[in-house]
Amino acid sequence: MLPLSIKDDEYKPTKFNLVVKLSGWFRSILADKTSRNLFFFLCLNLSFAFVELTYGIWSNSLGLISDSFHMFFDCTALLAGLAASVISRWRSNDSFSYGYVRAEVLAGFVNGLFLIFTAFFIFSEGVERALEPPDVHHDRLLPVSVAGLLVNLVGIFVFQHGGHGHSHGDEGHGHSHSLFNGSLNHGHSHGGGHQDKHGGHGHSHGGHDGHGHSHGGHDGHGHSHGGHGHSHDEPDCHNELQHTPGKGSSKQILQGVLLHIIADTLGSVGVIISALLMQKYDLMIADPICSMLIALLIGVSVVPLLKESIGILMQRTPPSLDHALPECYQRVQQLQGVYNLQEPHFWTLCTDVYIGTLKLLVAPDADARWILSQTHGIFTQAGVRQLYVQIETAAM
Amino acid sequence: MEDKYSSNVLSGSKLGMVEVPDSRLTRYIVLLIISKVLKALGIFESYDILKVVHIVQFIFILKLGSAVILLFFQKPFSSGKVISKRQWIKLLKHAIFSCVISLLGFFGLTLCGPLRTLLLFEHSDVVVIALLGVLFTNSGGGPAKTRGAAFFIIAVICLLLFDNDDLMAKMAEHPEGHHDSALTHFLHTAISFLGVADHKGGVVLLVASLCLKVAFHTASRKLSVEIGGAKRLYALDNLVSAMVLLPWVIVLSATTESKVESWSSLILPFAMIIFSVIILEFYVEAICSAKMETPRCARYGAIALFLSALLLANFWTHPLTDQLRSMSKPPQQVSTEHVLSGGVLVSAVFFIMSSSILASPSKKGQKGTLVGYSPEGTPLYNFMGDALQHTSQSLPRFIKDSLKQILEEYDSRQIFYFLCLNLAFTFVELFYGVWTNSLGLISDGFHMLFDCSALVLGLFAALMTRWKATRIFSYGYGRVEILSGFINGLFLMVIAFFVFMESVTRLLDPPNINTDMLTPVSVGGLLVNLVGICAFSHAHSHGGKSCSSHDHGHSHHGHSHSEHGHGGHGHSHGGHGGHGSHGHGSHGSHGHGHSHGSGGGGMNANMRGVFLHVLADTLGSVGVIISTILIRQFGWLIADPICSLFIAVLIFLSVIPLLKDACEVLLLRTPPENEKDLNSALEKIEKIEGVLSYRDPHFWRHSANVIAGTIHLQIMSDVVEQRIVQQVTAILKDAGVNNLSVQVEKEAYFQHMSGLSTGFHEVLAMTQQMESMKYLNDGTRIL
Repeated sequence: MLPLSIKDDEYKPTKFNLVVKLSGWFRSILADKTSRNLFFFLCLNLSFAFVELTYGIWSNSLGLISDSFHMFFDCTALLAGLAASVISRWRSNDSFSYGYVRAEVLAGFVNGLFLIFTAFFIFSEGVERALEPPDVHHDRLLPVSVAGLLVNLVGIFVFQHGGHGHSHGDEGHGHSHSLFNGSLNHGHSHGGGHQDKHGGHGHSHGGHDGHGHSHGGHDGHGHSHGGHGHSHDEPDCHNELQHTPGKGSSKQILQGVLLHIIADTLGSVGVIISALLMQKYDLMIADPICSMLIALLIGVSVVPLLKESIGILMQRTPPSLDHALPECYQRVQQLQGVYNLQEPHFWTLCTDVYIGTLKLLVAPDADARWILSQTHGIFTQAGVRQLYVQIETAAM
Repeated sequence: MEDKYSSNVLSGSKLGMVEVPDSRLTRYIVLLIISKVLKALGIFESYDILKVVHIVQFIFILKLGSAVILLFFQKPFSSGKVISKRQWIKLLKHAIFSCVISLLGFFGLTLCGPLRTLLLFEHSDVVVIALLGVLFTNSGGGPAKTRGAAFFIIAVICLLLFDNDDLMAKMAEHPEGHHDSALTHFLHTAISFLGVADHKGGVVLLVASLCLKVAFHTASRKLSVEIGGAKRLYALDNLVSAMVLLPWVIVLSATTESKVESWSSLILPFAMIIFSVIILEFYVEAICSAKMETPRCARYGAIALFLSALLLANFWTHPLTDQLRSMSKPPQQVSTEHVLSGGVLVSAVFFIMSSSILASPSKKGQKGTLVGYSPEGTPLYNFMGDALQHTSQSLPRFIKDSLKQILEEYDSRQIFYFLCLNLAFTFVELFYGVWTNSLGLISDGFHMLFDCSALVLGLFAALMTRWKATRIFSYGYGRVEILSGFINGLFLMVIAFFVFMESVTRLLDPPNINTDMLTPVSVGGLLVNLVGICAFSHAHSHGGKSCSSHDHGHSHHGHSHSEHGHGGHGHSHGGHGGHGSHGHGSHGSHGHGHSHGSGGGGMNANMRGVFLHVLADTLGSVGVIISTILIRQFGWLIADPICSLFIAVLIFLSVIPLLKDACEVLLLRTPPENEKDLNSALEKIEKIEGVLSYRDPHFWRHSANVIAGTIHLQIMSDVVEQRIVQQVTAILKDAGVNNLSVQVEKEAYFQHMSGLSTGFHEVLAMTQQMESMKYLNDGTRIL
């Protein structure tokens, strides 16, 4: 008897070679547009932080040094995003049967949490300072914060482009895994706008209902409506069963990183404004108020990301399927021979990859194969790419 | 005061809540708000006027003026049906009552000041009726209404007890002093007989007259129908009450000398009051309650009124407005102001909340999810399920229920007790800090509070884990536990990072630390945390023992704390591994899976996170104590940063396993402790007769006691599917998978699929690939 499953890993030499490994990582980073962007921006950020640090040490300014450390801390977010985008492309193995695609959700979650922490700290500090405004030395603040702003603006720019690039890049590949992908039209177009701006989460939450309804009956091309590629609430739009795990658009990562950068940008803007106010009008209260506002902004903008990623991590029924599923259940139950539908579980594996399991109670004389294929068809139309249907025959 | 019978007559008969589009309502709302603001202004104005004008005269002038205007507008005599004699008598009674109520209201105004009067007296009928319904009948309309009533009562009590109005207290010193009339004198003596100050008496008086007013409005509704419309009644009522008051006014002005020098200067304010308080308000209210629903109207009106009253009370004493007023006001008056106190503010907030809650329509039977449309095109609603669960819950009952739930299970109980202990310690610290004015203690207290957040998170997760699965979260909320553990771990990592950074900077530049304060506080904190560690580690080892029946040498009680954290981790692995090795039989592994499920409370991610947090705190206190001793004894200032460095590293290291485990679960890893069982189970599945192969086996741990799995089976076309599904389910259940779905595929299935899909080619290619693979499989089988 031949072995039925082939495991390449077992025959690989397990020699640890740092150079090879590093170059492998490097190549895999550069292979994908998202991670490449992340990587370049990380490099930019790091170099800026180092310049700041050396200059701070050289001129012996504590403010600069602490700011550079803050930059380093920021880099961890980028690093997390980068790591996640690399990890999420790892092949699935025996232990991780779904692959590592969830890493992107996790990275988004971690980034969001960090941002919340940051916002909280900033806020508490702002309150403290509002009670007794300290003497801020604002002579050195301005140039540094302007430079930081520039760097962050570059980041925002890059990631907006990255978003576009990724949405283009996605279309090409990714039809190798599943049985049923690629079969239907492929309007996967939620690239561009929406994970870059704050509107992005509008897309994932609020956008759903209104959008899906207003475009009901269309074949669900997300193209025209910028951020709202997710118009697949309607059962008859087939536009999102597409990309495979492993080549995910890593929306969560991008969103997390982008939020982080935006938070930084906002911080720089706030610092600049408050520095100007302090210089021109001696409004010492401007600084804490600015930082409090920024903290609030960050906190509010992170909440949708956190909510979404917690939902995914907790195996929530995908919000975009909320409306489609009851109809699907109804249609399945109307199939000939189906008595009942039990234990429906639907969840999101990673961005736009939905997995579902069902149990169907069927009549003893029903055609199980026909029911199975019909069920698959119904749910495929709703956008569930991997479906497991367990058919149970009712006892007579 | 304003009467609005029409509000109930006109809109009380509306069926259901027909939501009118907001855009059309906006202007009515704006109108309502403007009229309410004007009314508040008028009340403030009349308070000032009442200082010089006798109350009866005041009301007489108001009634007369409004009667003249209303007669002009409504023409009650020339239009409508003729009023019979009996109706005139009823009208007279009605007018007398309304006079009494106006008297009471304005007398309360002189006692309490305009702000408090507005807060107390200007509730719309809907609110008061809802309040009385809650208080005196059983069918109050649910917990929300009860909450609203509670808010109302709290607000009144706030006004009664916590409103320290110094100026009024001065006035209250002479309750038997000079008063203008026998009536006011009688009221004053009555109030002072009750033993409360004037001002408090005014509050009671206003509440009583509010109830009277509502009762009066309700009673007079019939009359208004008889007379022919609320507006007509209102006009006539004003006229008659002016006539009723006329003799009294004559007697009064004959007996007492007026304080007013020139009535002419009062014309403008009177006109303004008449316009804003009586006429405009009445008409606007009538219009608005006709266009909107009464509750909504009442809600907006109340909020606008209260807010504007608060604002006015703030600015009325302002020099600018003072100046403005003096133009239209007799200059000689000394304004005794009612100061704005915290009690008033709180009660205003409560009043606003209560009136918005009480005025909101009861939602019973209104909710339902739209299911679809019937063939005739009428919408179908579903009132089952979610709609029924979304009724608002009573707060006390909610607290009681969740407390019961918390105390039900071992680990949440543990967390809860420890949280209580921690909170108590924190509050003692904070109080002591505030008392002795020590900043260090206060900041430490806040740090403790911050720590408590981790505990609260853990507690919440432990509670939430036990929630039933819903339609949305179809696997249940078990994952909350892991997420909470993960968040706690991340939290700790961040903290460790910050401590590390700070200690590095301190290492370079050791600051001078004031060590006097530190020791007692940190010893206290240490004690509290030690209790916590004992509690949690006890839970841990307890769970461990109940979990693994074979003797397991699991007794690291005397170890250092960091060992503990690792020990917990090691335990769960070692235990399972050992089990797997000797449990090849399906029975053994079955028992194992089960015991794991029940023993999930032993050391799940959540508990580990909380435990690590407590541990980190303990380490922190230990470090502080040690470094304090070192600094005191030997003057080693460097000891502090080194200690904290050490602690940071320790925390960091102890968190890593927790994070790793949580990440693995979140990344849907095949549970490592079940891996062996699963592999052998898969081997067994392949050996089942009729099974060709399996595909896409996914197994993952959802929560402590749910392991979910999915698998595709390819079977021969002539086998009974049901039998195979059952066998596979049984085998995998033995391996610990308790949420399984098996999809059975036969070759025809793929042909169906290829026919179904429009993207024919790819699926066909896939099918052929599968087919060839199957042939290969068949080949191997034949070989």
